[in-house]
Amino acid sequence: MSRDLVVAAAGLAALLTGCTAVNTAYVPTARDGRDPFITSGNIQEPYQSLGLLQVTRKGVIIFGAIDPAGTDLNAGFQEMLPRIRQMGGDGLINVRWNQTQYTALARVFSIFLLGMLPGEVTITGEVVRLRRPGEPARGPSL
Amino acid sequence: MMEPRSLTTRLLLLVAAVVPLIGCSAVVRGQRLSDRPDDTGRGVYLSTGGSPKPYRTLGFVQVTGEGRTVAGMVDVGDAGLDGVIRGTLAQEASKLGGDGVIHIEFLDENPQTDYERLQQAAQTVNSLASGQGQVEQRRRTVVVTGEIIKFTQ
Repeated sequence: MSRDLVVAAAGLAALLTGCTAVNTAYVPTARDGRDPFITSGNIQEPYQSLGLLQVTRKGVIIFGAIDPAGTDLNAGFQEMLPRIRQMGGDGLINVRWNQTQYTALARVFSIFLLGMLPGEVTITGEVVRLRRPGEPARGPSL
Repeated sequence: MMEPRSLTTRLLLLVAAVVPLIGCSAVVRGQRLSDRPDDTGRGVYLSTGGSPKPYRTLGFVQVTGEGRTVAGMVDVGDAGLDGVIRGTLAQEASKLGGDGVIHIEFLDENPQTDYERLQQAAQTVNSLASGQGQVEQRRRTVVVTGEIIKFTQ
C-alpha cells in the first residue's frame, strides 16, 4: 500500500516538474500619444531622457494561483504606465523585467507554507520624451 | 493563560496580515541620462540604449553600490542609483579614456516598499521604547552594468 503511494507520488511529481510557468503582459505599442509606449529595445526617433525608473511589486500568492497583490508581469507593466506619465514621458525604452515564477510542483507544495508563496515582479527602464520638430536641445546631462 | 491584546496590537497584527495580500510597490527613480542625439557633445554619454555615433568598445563595467537603510528612514552608503551611474560608472569610463557608457542596465536588488519602511521604523521605535536599543537596518544593493565606448567620429 505504502509502496503504491510512493510510486503514485513520484509519478505525480515527475508529471508536475515537467510543467512550464508562463506569464505574459500586454502593453500599448502605438505612438499616438494616448498611452505611453513600452519597448525592450531602443527607438529611432530623437528623444530626451527624463530619467530611470524601477517598479517592484511585492505580495503573497495564495495556493499558487490567487495573486491578490498583483505580482505578475501584467500588473507590473500596468503600474508603470501612470508613472511614465507622471514623469512627463511619452514612453519607456530598453525595458528589462523579472518575475517570481513557480512550477506546478512548487504550487502544490505551498500547502506546507499555509498555501502562501512570496511573489515579486520588477520592471526597469528609461523614461523618454519624444523630441518635437524644431525643439531646441537641452544642456548636458552631466 | 494569554493576556488580552490591546486594540493597537490587534490593529498592527491586522495590518501586518492584510498588507502583503494587498501588495505594495517600491519605486526607484534615477536622474536623466543623455538625450539622443546628444547635441551638446559634452560630458560622458550615458544611455540604456546604443550609441548615436560610430564607436569602438573599450570594455565592460559592472558597479555594485552597497548601503543600508537605517530605521526605515535614512539611506546611508552608496546604494543610490544616481551616485552609481553618474558618479562611479562615468568615472570608470573616463579613466579608460572612454566617451560614454551604453547599454546600461540597472537593478536595485532590494527596494523597500512604504510598508516595509514603516514596519522597520515601528520596530525601531518599539525596541528603543522597551529599552533594548536595537535600531533596525536593512542592506541595500544597486547593480549597474554597461559597455564603455569611444566615439570614432
